[in-house]
Amino acid sequence: MSTTSTLLSPELLARLEKMELLSRKIFRGRMKGERRSRRKGQSVEFADFRNYVPGDDLRFVDWNTYARLERLFLKLFLEEEDLHFYALLDASASMDFGEPTKLRYAQQLAAALGFVGLVRGDRVKIETLGQAAAARSSVFRGRRSMWRLFDHIESFVPGETVSLAQGVKNFCLRNSGKGIVVLIGDLMDKAGYEPALRYLLAQQMDVYVVQVLSAEEIDPELVGDLRLVDCEDGDQADVTVSAPLMKRYKQTLAAFVESARDFCTRRGMVYLLVRNEVPLEEMITDYLAQRGLIR
Amino acid sequence: MWPTWMNMLGWWQWAILLAVPPAIISLYFLKLRRRPVEVPSTYLWSRSIEDLHVNSIWQRLRRNLLLLLQLLLLLLLIVALLRPAWRGEQLIGHRLVFLIDNSASMKATDERPNRLERAKRRALALVDEMRSGDVGMVISFADTARIEQMRTGDRAALGRAIRAIKPTDRSTSLVEALQVAAAQADPRQIAQAAEEENTTAVDSLPATAYILSDGGFGPVSESTLGNLRPVYIPIGRSSPANVAILTFAVRRHESQEDYLRALARLKNFSPKKVDVEVTLRLDGKLKDADRVAIEPGQTRRIAFDLGEVDSGVLRLSVAASDCFAVDDEAWVAVNPVRPAEVLLVTPGNQPLELALTTRSAAKLAHVVVEPTSFLKTQQYATAAAGGADDLIIYDRCRPTTMPQANTLFIGNVPPGEGWSRGEPVAAPRIIDTDPTHPMMQWLAMDDVVLREGRPIGVPPGGDILIDSDAGPMLVIAPRETFQDAATGFLLVEEEEGGQVGRTTWPIRPSFPMFVLNTLGYLGGGVQEPGHRSARPGHPITLEAATGGSISVVHPDGQATRLEAVRAGRRRFSATEQLGVYEVRSGGRTVSRFAVNLFDPRESDLAPRGALDMGAEKIAGRSGWEAARREIWRPLLLLGLFVLIVEWYIYNQRVSM
Repeated sequence: MSTTSTLLSPELLARLEKMELLSRKIFRGRMKGERRSRRKGQSVEFADFRNYVPGDDLRFVDWNTYARLERLFLKLFLEEEDLHFYALLDASASMDFGEPTKLRYAQQLAAALGFVGLVRGDRVKIETLGQAAAARSSVFRGRRSMWRLFDHIESFVPGETVSLAQGVKNFCLRNSGKGIVVLIGDLMDKAGYEPALRYLLAQQMDVYVVQVLSAEEIDPELVGDLRLVDCEDGDQADVTVSAPLMKRYKQTLAAFVESARDFCTRRGMVYLLVRNEVPLEEMITDYLAQRGLIR
Repeated sequence: MWPTWMNMLGWWQWAILLAVPPAIISLYFLKLRRRPVEVPSTYLWSRSIEDLHVNSIWQRLRRNLLLLLQLLLLLLLIVALLRPAWRGEQLIGHRLVFLIDNSASMKATDERPNRLERAKRRALALVDEMRSGDVGMVISFADTARIEQMRTGDRAALGRAIRAIKPTDRSTSLVEALQVAAAQADPRQIAQAAEEENTTAVDSLPATAYILSDGGFGPVSESTLGNLRPVYIPIGRSSPANVAILTFAVRRHESQEDYLRALARLKNFSPKKVDVEVTLRLDGKLKDADRVAIEPGQTRRIAFDLGEVDSGVLRLSVAASDCFAVDDEAWVAVNPVRPAEVLLVTPGNQPLELALTTRSAAKLAHVVVEPTSFLKTQQYATAAAGGADDLIIYDRCRPTTMPQANTLFIGNVPPGEGWSRGEPVAAPRIIDTDPTHPMMQWLAMDDVVLREGRPIGVPPGGDILIDSDAGPMLVIAPRETFQDAATGFLLVEEEEGGQVGRTTWPIRPSFPMFVLNTLGYLGGGVQEPGHRSARPGHPITLEAATGGSISVVHPDGQATRLEAVRAGRRRFSATEQLGVYEVRSGGRTVSRFAVNLFDPRESDLAPRGALDMGAEKIAGRSGWEAARREIWRPLLLLGLFVLIVEWYIYNQRVSM
């Protein structure tokens, strides 16, 4: 286990320590944690009374009420449990573009969010789309797991060939638990991103979609008669770059982003478009905080 | 007009140039080599291209358009390298005079629509060639010249003036037109005119006279040209077909006085023999017809016996399918016979009085005989000044002032200037007569003996009708609109015991004939019923017994009122149209007269290749300066434009 990581700077880690992941939904956790759960349990926070039934733990009987009313009531407390945080990264070949590469940027983002989760005692799972449905991935919990988590994230390499929809489907099959899921990728799937997002939606998770695009994709600096080769499937497009075509491309990109944002918003997902040039710190403290993923 | 070409390149340069279009086309068939670039995803690109592929047919067209534009550019370059040019006409000089012939022959239709229109078109083309600073002038000419447009640099005004020129039926004479043009070209005259108009004087540059004509006019003396430089532009095709009526007249039948005979002379100006139908109509009704074959260049006479014709309009027409219709018709107006009013002032002349009272003479004239003392009466003075008589015969007497009538003086001369008499000569012998003169026709004078005679001095314009070894014995001379005749011998003389003959003439058959001829000729238009004919544009004298105004109805129905100028005679000059004119007085037709072309020079349509200018002959078109009007500059500009369009479209081009 290494003790150094280039993913996140110490300064950023210091800032992240003060943060916590927020969920707009209240989920049931798996273990005791710092999160309020739907489950009634043993926290200090009073929730309700209910009639005693034989077999109940006598420790929770409210004796003061019994003394007054001579009836047995049970005091219920809110349970505090852990939060499941998933980060799902697209590690396809197309993510290997840009400076830094989109994948690197996604890794840093996942690491940062995962670190926040670890600090707050949440269950953190970072996976890539290419992970097989049956493959189990390790769960990280507690600060101690930080370096392990970082190593795990660093191990991702671009070049996975699974489609977005298939990858998300596999993820959903692997992870039935509720929680926050952050999908980080470029959404450039020729079959469309919609089926993939629908799978996530069906899991009833708190979904965040972070689309990472490189500067080359947003403002391509191409000139002349070109044969564009898709790095993933080798598909070719012959173009003669001209002002009208560039205009048309930007219109198409804007329409694509807008439709994705619209798709997510209508379905209660949070969509976020990120350029790989935006510094990570700014990205986390401004963009994600504004969207309510982090506090 | 087709352009002429000029080769600018050698064969190998042409080979290279001509190899370029196939090279361009083959380049278009070769697929464009594209640089491969790896991108994260072609997803958005494909979608962008798809949007543009919706109008891919336009894309393809646009690509082909580029090819076409490149080929067009190359074609323009090749054509420009061939240096195409039109042969333009460069005007000579900066002072131009356009002399446009609008005589009758310019109505010929061998040029479409006719020669005049052709000449006008040529003149307009010349005006178009005028450079700024050039001044032009337009003169139309037939037998007279008319300035259609004074000197001006305004090409529009010159064009308007040229277009406004109308054809006439007149004959042609270039002299007056050249005089007018030369006067304009003469710097001294121009300077004078400039002084008068208080404008700046112009320098003394010679003018160029563009003569647009078929050349149907006589020789012009070189001196007429003055400062003009003539350029002759012949109008008309060579050898057009034409059959012309050269003369048409009506004569009394030789044997039967009451019968009229129509005589005509036709000439074939065509290079081929023609067979034409000639029809004669009297007041519109067919009177006679004939078929005549005429050899090329030959003349044929034809005659029609008309029988008794009191009055009417005879129209002769030739059904020739030639290109000049003006000379295919001729008219003769047969006027009702009006006996001449003849006054004989004589102390007594039995042979003459006898000759004037024959049956034939009575038909021609109403003769009044008065003694010489009548000349002193007021009645005579009024009648003589008022033109009441057509002919006054003064026998051995003479008036103090000449009357408004034709006169015949016997044994005396008129009191006017020019007339004189020599000393008496005994027994002069008649040596010659003028048989062509109407008064002397059919007279055999060789058996006439004169006892005494005084030769007569011939006044200006006079003709000798009877000449003797001593001098002229019968002379006729014009006076204003009248004719005066005088004999140098007496017919009779008073002697004791009565009248004694001074010549054997009264007892010869020629004497009553002479009297009849005199009554006919000097008595005023009764002998030849068709002699009232005029040339187009020429004035004619009209006589009407009544005073006041008369009106002349033109062939087209238009009427002109004429006031009496003097003694019932009127000059009528509006004879521009061919045909029969009616003289009306008091609502009825008094007489008619015809206007006919009868001009062999106008009818000879063959255009003259050269103008006869005295010693110099000016060949047609000799003054043309051929100017090459090249158009490679506009072609190159067009090529540049095509290049710009191609570049624009290329930059608008998006993708395959």
